[in-house]
Order: sequence, then structure tokens, then C-alpha cells
Amino acid sequence: MKNKKQCVAMLLAGGQGSRLGILTTEMAKPAIPYGGKYRIIDFPLSNCTNSGVDVVGVLTQYQPLALNAYIGSGAPWDLDLAHGGVYVLPPYMTGKTGEWYSGTANAIYQNMQFIEQFDADYVLILSGDHIYKMDYNKMLRDHIKNNADCTIAVREVPWEEASRFGIMNTNPDNSISEFEEKPANPKSNKASMGVYIFTWDKLRKYLTEDAANPNSSNDFGKNIIPNMLGDKQRMFAYDFEGYWKDVGTIESLWEANMDLLELPMPIDLYDKKWRIYGRSPGLAPHFVAEGGSVEKSLITEGCEVYGKVNHSVVFAGVTIREGACVEDCVLMPGCVIERGAQVRRAIIAEDAVIGAGAVVGETTGNIAVVGANVKLPAGATVKAGEQYNEK
Amino acid sequence: MKDVMGVIYTGDKDSFLRELTLVRAIAALPVAGRYRVIDFLVSSMVNSGVRNVGVIMQKNYHSLMDHLGSGKEWDLHGKRDGLYILPPFLTRENVGVYNGSLDALHSNMNYLRRSRQDYVLFTNSLILYNPKLDEMFDQLDDSCDAVMMYTKDPAMQRPEYGTYFDVNEDGFVTDVEIDPTKPRYENTSMDALLISKKLLIDLIDRGVAHGYHDLMRDVMQRMIRDAGLKVKGYEYKDICFRLDSVQSYFNFNMKTLDTAVRHELFREDRPIYTKVRDELPARYMEDAKVLNSMVADGCIINGTLDHSVLFRGVRVEKGATVKNCILMQDAYIEEGAYLENCILDKQAHIKKDVRLIGPKAYPIVISKNMVI
Repeated sequence: MKNKKQCVAMLLAGGQGSRLGILTTEMAKPAIPYGGKYRIIDFPLSNCTNSGVDVVGVLTQYQPLALNAYIGSGAPWDLDLAHGGVYVLPPYMTGKTGEWYSGTANAIYQNMQFIEQFDADYVLILSGDHIYKMDYNKMLRDHIKNNADCTIAVREVPWEEASRFGIMNTNPDNSISEFEEKPANPKSNKASMGVYIFTWDKLRKYLTEDAANPNSSNDFGKNIIPNMLGDKQRMFAYDFEGYWKDVGTIESLWEANMDLLELPMPIDLYDKKWRIYGRSPGLAPHFVAEGGSVEKSLITEGCEVYGKVNHSVVFAGVTIREGACVEDCVLMPGCVIERGAQVRRAIIAEDAVIGAGAVVGETTGNIAVVGANVKLPAGATVKAGEQYNEK
Repeated sequence: MKDVMGVIYTGDKDSFLRELTLVRAIAALPVAGRYRVIDFLVSSMVNSGVRNVGVIMQKNYHSLMDHLGSGKEWDLHGKRDGLYILPPFLTRENVGVYNGSLDALHSNMNYLRRSRQDYVLFTNSLILYNPKLDEMFDQLDDSCDAVMMYTKDPAMQRPEYGTYFDVNEDGFVTDVEIDPTKPRYENTSMDALLISKKLLIDLIDRGVAHGYHDLMRDVMQRMIRDAGLKVKGYEYKDICFRLDSVQSYFNFNMKTLDTAVRHELFREDRPIYTKVRDELPARYMEDAKVLNSMVADGCIINGTLDHSVLFRGVRVEKGATVKNCILMQDAYIEEGAYLENCILDKQAHIKKDVRLIGPKAYPIVISKNMVI
């Protein structure tokens, strides 16, 4: 007996995100903290919950422990269901063999049985790299209405940046005529968001053929989508308007956090109809002492502020001691800024301790980073753009 | 893993809490920026290995039920055991209104019998603390029939109110006095009784058969004094607060602004769990000034906060001042308003330039949903 689900989401969370430097040496990119109390993966997961997609397979491979622990039973996203819910899917052995996921398409190929368990008609492919709010159900309705084999979410990017993206050239009915990866002379400014809906029967066929081809890199963007286009399958673009941010680099992660300090917020996280859910650390509300000050900042539970905080995003359980000054920073959960330390334009990773009087970052220039669990000695200096990870 | 079930009786006397308990039981009172009183008891039970917690409801129990839900936040939503909400109900022998804790327990005899634990920790709900209950559990041995918790903290004593124990040199309770004009014993009851379920059921049955209503007043007191029931006293030595009046409620919340108190109450090894609201972190704007205040997530602050406790989702506009106040969930303070020594219940709305200054000893209470 099959437990039928119309649409199953598969979230690709196995990438390392190496452009995030020391932030991802011990943690997969989707587990990176964002926005004071979220992690990147909260966005696709909450989008699924809010869109009524209630089966989500999370494909993990690189440093999965933090991510596994964070997802747990899926309860924070109401994905702890008797029928469906969130499933963590690492690579596994079959018979005497087994292999790592060799590409995004291969990760789905190795989990075809998972999708078939739910007798799904459609598969939604997501990545854990972006900050955005999107109704996948609307996209699915479009996909069904168009009788499409594949629908790719696209957003218009500034023309001068279009050559950095995978670009969809479309016909007037929004069907896709051509896909160009990072074209030098783009014909369109519709960039793929890495969000796809496939009709499962079609995708299964292409995944199977792709797996049999030893020369393939088993990738959606490089293989599956060009192959389907080549075969003149029904492929449509789905236009998405709204905030969408790739947080794949130190600078873009920092910027995406700073975006939340603007009002109105470029991405409305106060929207009660589209809440972003996350696992709560369960700490007391934050406390600002006499002599402490907080301006133009977001700050959450468990924090204690004895120093100055300006234009920063401060995660749970952070302590900022007397005389310390924090400006234009992202302070991740549990970090401690000791007395008199000056931290500017910096990302301080989880549970790092910035020693007394240390100076991290500068008022201009690139973002400085201090790695997780690092103890930066008192009086030390980390210059703009430097990454400090000595343990 | 403990062989103890927890039973919390939420029918405490609450008349001194005025408007604050018009809409809710004491157990459901919002405290410390994001919690309800009952979070502390349920969390410390869970942190001490208790897996089965029954909450006996009496009046105004809707907000309490809404808050506790399935018990998920406390990991009490399992198949075995879990959280049991026990509202009053009418049957031939049960009139639904409890005249005391004995009535309440008697109505829930089936829950007691059906539970698989052999011991019961029975508590009231107006004392706020974060105890290590395992230590109390370790006290129960062959030398005694039950264990009752007490404190020597003089701040817990009240004229004409409260339960007081005489404890002998061997640590056994020899007398119990309830609501004396002036307490004669220095040991104030913490309203926590640990007893074997078999004995408790027997005491309930015999008590009800004699027409009694209250477990402590009518049964335990008599059994200890006249029938040689051996009850060990367990002294609780950490901080605790009794929330039995507006003033004590106000003082407790203000005490949480004291870092030493806060660190003792909110401990890493014994976290307090509560219902999660998935709010954005608190936002401070350009004109925010804040000192000595505790602020929960979802707040938007552009005014001045001084020595105040703000619950989730409170908004304080530019030029507004909030001093020595407790602002419950979703309160809204418009521009230029001035509040001092006030308690604002949920969703209270203070309009532009309104000034409210209460005397420190008698804070102004603004009821839920009021617009001023």
C-alpha cells in the first residue's frame, strides 16, 4: 500500500559551500546561522510547510552532524508527521557497494525509492543556499496548468550581472527555448533560482539515462536540464518576484544579515501568514545592562549586553562585556566579546571568544571572520578581510 | 529515569492578584518576559527525569490549556506517559468545583491509578523556582512515608497566609500550621509533597470518606500530628518566589533584572522550556535607549526603556518612556507616552502622550486588551 503524496520536496544540502571559508569547515552550508535566530535551511523548510508540501527529503553528505541535529524530528517546522514529514537522506550502501553523491542529479537518482514510496506525481528540487520566501504550491499549480515536464523558477537579475547566472531564454508563453550557463552575451535576464518542479515520470527516465552515462557529471544544470531541452520536453519558466539572496560568500552572507536591519525589511519576516520557523534554543529574553546600549540592531534570547552594539545582528546566548564595541557585525550563537574588544564589519562564528581589548575588522574593507569555537587572544588583531581560525 | 509522576494543582487562591488573574489561573501568569509560571514547575520535573505530568485545572483554564498544548515543548508528547491536562468535569460524585486539593485529586483518581509510576510528586503552582528535584527524590527511603519541601527564606512568609512546618532534629515534620496570623515556624512549605502512590490513594480515599476537602489542611496535618505519619522535611536552599499578590508578582519580575538572580533561575543545566512563538529577534531602532531591561523577541523598540521587562511582540514608539514596568505580550506604547510602575496585560494599548505613574508599592494594572 502506498501513502500517496502529490508532491515531494528534495532539498539538496550536501554541498560544502567552500566560498564561505572557515564558516563551513565543520558545518554544511545550510546549517549556517542567519538573521539572528534562523539557519539558512529554515527558509526552504518553512517555505515547504507554508506551501503545504509536507514530505521533504534532505540530502546530506558534507559535514552533516550539525544539520542532522538541527533538523531532528522536524517538529519546529511541523514536519514531524505520521505520514510524511522531513527525512534526512545520507548516501547509503546497496548490496556490497555504495557511493557518495557524485552530483545533484545523482543524489536524487540514489533516492528514487524514497520518492516512489510516496507515489509522488511531482518532485520539487530545492537547495539550501538561498534566503527567500516562495509559495511552491503556486509554482506547482502553474506546472500542472502548463502540463509541463519541468518548471524552473526564475527571477530577473540586473542585465550587467546576468552573465554570472544560469540564464533561461523564454518564448512569449514562458516556455523555455534555451538554457545558457553563465553566458558572455546574455539574451535574457531571467536567472535560474535552482528551484525546479519535475513531473516524476519524466525525471525518473532522465535520471536513469543520466546514471547510465559514464561521461555525465550527474548535475541538474549541466546534464538533466540541457538533455530535456534537447529532447524538446515541455519546459517552462516560473517568474518569481521578491527578495532572493544567495548567501554563498562571506560578503553576501554578511550583506543578507545587514538587509534585515533596514525598515521596511527587503524580506518581510514579520509576516504572520508566512512565518519562518526554526529550532528555538529556549533561553530567557535578552538583557541590556546599565551602561550597555543597542541601536539599529536585531538581538535575541539569551544575550547579555554590557557594552555597545550598533547596526548588528546578534544571535542567541551572546555576551558583550563592558566597554566592548560591536558595529556592523554578525555575532553567531554563544559567542563572547570580552571587555574593551572592538569588533567592526565582522562575522564571529558560534561559541568564539574575542579576547579583551582585541580588535577585529575595520570600518571599511572586506569582512573579517573569526571561526567557531576559536579563542582570539586578548589584544590580538584580525584585519579587514582576514579569517582567523587558530584553535 | 525516575519512577515518579508529577501532579500540579492549579487551583491556588488568587484573589490578591486582582485583574491579573481575572482571565487566567496563577499557573498561566506570564513571567520573566516569555514564560508562564507553570513552565518552571513542568521544566524542573522534566529536567529531573519525570516523564508523566498531570495538570489539574480549575478555573479560567483556557489560557493554560492553550499554552501547554500537547506538551511538545517539554518533550512530554510521547506515547508512554506525557502531559495530561485534567480539567474539572461533572459526574454523580464530582461536582466540578474543587473546595480543595483533596477534591481535585479525588476527581482524578483514575489518572493516578492508571499511571505506571509508583511515586507521586504533588505540587501547587504559585511558587516560582527552579529546583533540582532529583535531590528531593533521593530523600524518600524506608525511614519515611513521604517527603515535603520547605524553605527557611523569610521572604516566603506571609501573615495569615501560607503553610508552615515544625521540623525536628532528625529532619521529620512534627507539626503543620496553615494560615496562622503570624507564622510560628520558620519553615515555609514549598507546596511540594513526594509520596508513594499507594499511600496517596489510600489517604485520598479515607479523606473523602470523612468529608474532607483539602489534602494538607484536612489530611496531612492530622496524619502527621495524630496518626504518626512519618514525613521527612526537605529543605530547599536556592532562590524562590511566591506569586500571591500584584506586589509580589511585580517584585519577582523586577528581580529577574538582577544578573545574579537571572543566572540562578535560568541555568544551562536546567533550562526552562516554554511555548515557542517563532518571532523575529527584538529590533532596536535609531532612537532606542535601553538600560537594565529584559526584552523578548518580536519587540520593536524606538523609545526609552529603564528597568523594565518586555514580553514578546511589544512595540515602544519614539519618544515614549517605560520605567519600572512590565509590558506583557503585544502591548503597544505610542509616541511620547510615559509609563512608570505599571503592569500592562496582553495587547494593552497606550495612546500618544498618555502619562501613567503608579506608586511603587502599588503598581497600576492595565487589563488585557485595554486602550488608554
